[in-house]
Amino acid sequence: MRKTGDAAIATVTVVALCAGAWLLSGGSGTGAPPQPSPAQAAGTGAGRDTGTSASPALPPSPPDRVRIPAIGVDAPLTGLGLTHSGSLDVPPPQKKNLAGWYEAGATPGERGTAIVAGHVDNAEGPAVFYRLGALDKGDAIEVVRRDGGVAVFTVDAVEVYAATDFPDEKVYGTAARPELRVITCGGGYRKGTGYQGNVVVFAHLTGSR
Amino acid sequence: MRRTARLLTGTALAVAAAGLATAPAAYAGDGAAPGRLDVYPSSVVPGDGATVNTAACGESGSAAGDATAVGGGTFALAPTTHRGEAIGRFTVPSSAQPGTYEIVATCGESGRRVAGDLEVTLTSAAQVHPRGSVKTGVGGALGPGPVQTAAGVTALAVAAAGGTWLLHRRARGDGI
Repeated sequence: MRKTGDAAIATVTVVALCAGAWLLSGGSGTGAPPQPSPAQAAGTGAGRDTGTSASPALPPSPPDRVRIPAIGVDAPLTGLGLTHSGSLDVPPPQKKNLAGWYEAGATPGERGTAIVAGHVDNAEGPAVFYRLGALDKGDAIEVVRRDGGVAVFTVDAVEVYAATDFPDEKVYGTAARPELRVITCGGGYRKGTGYQGNVVVFAHLTGSR
Repeated sequence: MRRTARLLTGTALAVAAAGLATAPAAYAGDGAAPGRLDVYPSSVVPGDGATVNTAACGESGSAAGDATAVGGGTFALAPTTHRGEAIGRFTVPSSAQPGTYEIVATCGESGRRVAGDLEVTLTSAAQVHPRGSVKTGVGGALGPGPVQTAAGVTALAVAAAGGTWLLHRRARGDGI
């Protein structure tokens, strides 16, 4: 009888030890978010501009949702402004499935550069754009607009830029056709300074429905 | 004196009532407020187009739009499955003069009239672009979260207690 009790205690001890070690080493935590490979950068590989011709611009209409089927994103969009330092503001981090769009820029589908941003993670774990860096050239990004239409964009490039050398004009500058940027954090993580830069997805309008 | 008091009470009640009436609109969030015609963009240059939408006409109601104030003629608002709003478009003629104009829509079924303002300016405000990187992460995906850490520490404490118990037993020569 005593032997059975001891065996049970031994089993519990071993299980608790393993579980504790697993939990503290990250457990089901997903680890570092995926980062784009050099092959997804602009001007490399066969997929450049994906061979998909640009669609004519849509009339302006504010967006309501962003969907990226390849990485399982389906998120509402909130309006974003600028911080006092002039950088793009971000959605409240507590709402992990909320993305935002820059209200003073072009609306997605309209001629010009529309900007969408969302968190890669928050204090609890992965957030809406955790897998953004895993996108490939040619993947689709859909924006549901308030006018009832859906603007469909095709990914041209997925880049990662250091915060210390951020190409403002390339990312935010005006475009002659309807384009979209989707931005999240990336570029490696350091304790104290956090993520070192941003993953930026470049896409252009290729359809609507 | 009493008259003044009554007048003040009346005013206060009216203000409170107005506050109650507008409260739902303030919480409507992104969607068009029920009694209003949303005009987007709210400021345009002559020659540009604008979109209007309203939730005032019900789930599948259409409406007749009127932008004649700004010279944009009449247009139709068609119901969409999206958000249950009626949506229409018109173009501001290149001859339009700067100013604020009222755009009107009348619901097909109920005859309800909703309006919104459109501002026409001669030059569009220069677009301001953001600068620099965006703070969209804190590293929370990288390590165990606070709950997970607590669970891990608890599990290790249980393991330590179990181990101590077993070692103690063995030291006493009870065997395992």
